[in-house]
Amino acid sequence: MPERRPFSLLLVAPALAMVLALFVYPLGYSLVSAFTARDGEPTLDNFSKTFDLYGADIVFTVLIVVVSTALTGMFAAAIGGYLVLAAHPIAATLLKWLYRWPLFIPFIVAAQCMRTFLAKNGMLNNTLDTLGLVDAAGLSGLLDWRGIIVTFVWKETPFVALLVSGAMAALDRAGIEAARNLGAGGLRVLVEILLPQVAGVMTAGLILAFVTMLSVLSVPIMISGGSPTMITVDMAFRVNSYSDYGVANALGVVSYVIAGLAAWVYMRRNVAGEGAQ
Amino acid sequence: MSEGGEMQRVSIILAALAGIVLGQLAAPQTAAQQRATLSLVTAGDQNMVDYVKDYLGPMFEKDHPGVTVKAVGTGPGDGGSQKIYEKLEAEKNNSSWDIDVAVIHQKAAGEMVTKGLLARYTAEVPTAKLVTSEAAKRALGADVDGYVMPMFNSQTAIAYNTEMVKAPPSTYAELEKWVQQNPKKFGYNGIKGGMSGVSFVVGWIYADAADADRLIKGPYDPETKKAWDKALARLAAFNKNVVLTPGNAGTLDMLNRGEIAMGPVWVDMFYTWQADGKIPPSVKLKLIGPGMPGQPMYYVVPAKAANAKLAGEFVALATSPKVQADGIVKRFNWYPGIDAAAVRPQLDEPTWRKLFVDVTPADLSSKGKPFPIAPYFNDILESYERKVQ
Repeated sequence: MPERRPFSLLLVAPALAMVLALFVYPLGYSLVSAFTARDGEPTLDNFSKTFDLYGADIVFTVLIVVVSTALTGMFAAAIGGYLVLAAHPIAATLLKWLYRWPLFIPFIVAAQCMRTFLAKNGMLNNTLDTLGLVDAAGLSGLLDWRGIIVTFVWKETPFVALLVSGAMAALDRAGIEAARNLGAGGLRVLVEILLPQVAGVMTAGLILAFVTMLSVLSVPIMISGGSPTMITVDMAFRVNSYSDYGVANALGVVSYVIAGLAAWVYMRRNVAGEGAQ
Repeated sequence: MSEGGEMQRVSIILAALAGIVLGQLAAPQTAAQQRATLSLVTAGDQNMVDYVKDYLGPMFEKDHPGVTVKAVGTGPGDGGSQKIYEKLEAEKNNSSWDIDVAVIHQKAAGEMVTKGLLARYTAEVPTAKLVTSEAAKRALGADVDGYVMPMFNSQTAIAYNTEMVKAPPSTYAELEKWVQQNPKKFGYNGIKGGMSGVSFVVGWIYADAADADRLIKGPYDPETKKAWDKALARLAAFNKNVVLTPGNAGTLDMLNRGEIAMGPVWVDMFYTWQADGKIPPSVKLKLIGPGMPGQPMYYVVPAKAANAKLAGEFVALATSPKVQADGIVKRFNWYPGIDAAAVRPQLDEPTWRKLFVDVTPADLSSKGKPFPIAPYFNDILESYERKVQ
């Protein structure tokens, strides 16, 4: 219906305007700012300062997010696999009900909880101590890089598990039964039958988790006081302490590049997948 | 959708429109009574917003029938002040601005005065003659005389657990030695997690600098920072034996849980937490030498505030001896923004003494330092990033 075209364009206009005004414009603005000195001249100084002062933080950020993503993938696969393969229906129902809870908890709340949970004399160590498993006096707290990873994995696993378990549940069970009949154990069915078939969904979920974790400020700032720290903290610090948007935006560009690489891996996989089909 | 449903929807929309129109018509009738809304924006923690909402606002509204005070917070630290600065900068070309009173930190105050965003209003405020502190004239080296009224003064000091530390160090040098003998018992929050850590680091540089006074008063020389290398190397070594805590509250949390025995804190936060039972009574304060920084927060009135006259009256109330005594000292454990001598008669002796029991007025005057002028301040932070982390 060509006569409806202008009307449909009109319908899409508010959404388009929002995207342009609230996303494309600020993105372009921050890119320009990253390459602009305080006096308005084009420069690369912001980037040399970024790598000079925050090089270690960039590496640290990538490591933290990669490790967290890998662990998230493992836990999500384990949860999804258990829900599909579980021999105990009650345990599966219980797990299904439990694992989604962290989805509804914001990062900042999770970080606040972990602050008391993971501290040296926090709930975790005190519980282990009370159970007689360890001596809390000799333990250190986990409020450093480990705390960041724990919080990220705790928060992102349900999201990926939700996607993965859905995809697994939708698979044809004949393959699983056949493998079982030939004597494959649960782990083998998970790794060799289920995971290859849901790899696409898993990658999509993990990339979303990766990009989300890359952008979180509250968790590293609330959990770890030490350095190196994540680049989101450095960005906030540049703006708050020096009003220095140039270097903050240069760090932002680094963050786009890292996120862009993840997206590129995903696209390549998809294209390869389509080619194979 | 059925036709009935469509009709119903249309009539709901019509009713809503009618409501809006009627509301508009009714508005002028109430306007005579509802004179104005004074909007106050404050940097700092939630307690700043609570202070205005629960205490100051209602008091002002009682004195000014028809006026409503609206308070909004922009978040802790210089970042909170930065947001206020950016908002005013963005509405610079408007004929009137939507902030009547702002509460900001020193760094932003200097910048905002330079950019012409603030009104020179204190001459019209009767309580201005009670303001005696140097901080009301200069903020990190910038001339702010006439543009700001201190809301309160705050100070950092070292909190220590008397059950774990019998003889607390009284200087930075002694603290350095103590940390060597007691590794991982001192904690502070670096420079990215809040101002108590920043203050500790600035104090470290003051302790080592040949001419600390120059850092506070200027003039600025970009070469000065080269002299700090040794002090920063020692700070890096010191950091190996300390716990880096997550934030101002993180240090207090760790003191509370007994994970560290000592750490720098804001005096007001410390007393408030102690009053709430979140810090055991066995933890005390000590202001160590040669000195640690503190800072005021300022009441300012933007240059084109819509309700400038009301704003002046509001600040006059907020800086009156009675409010400074009841609100600032008694409720929030801050040091008064106006001359302490004017506040003292308004307070009972125990309240007054509580504020000065660990950190005496003599300590405050000899060891309570301002932060350095802005360029030195940035140099200290960036040198720390470069050489200590």
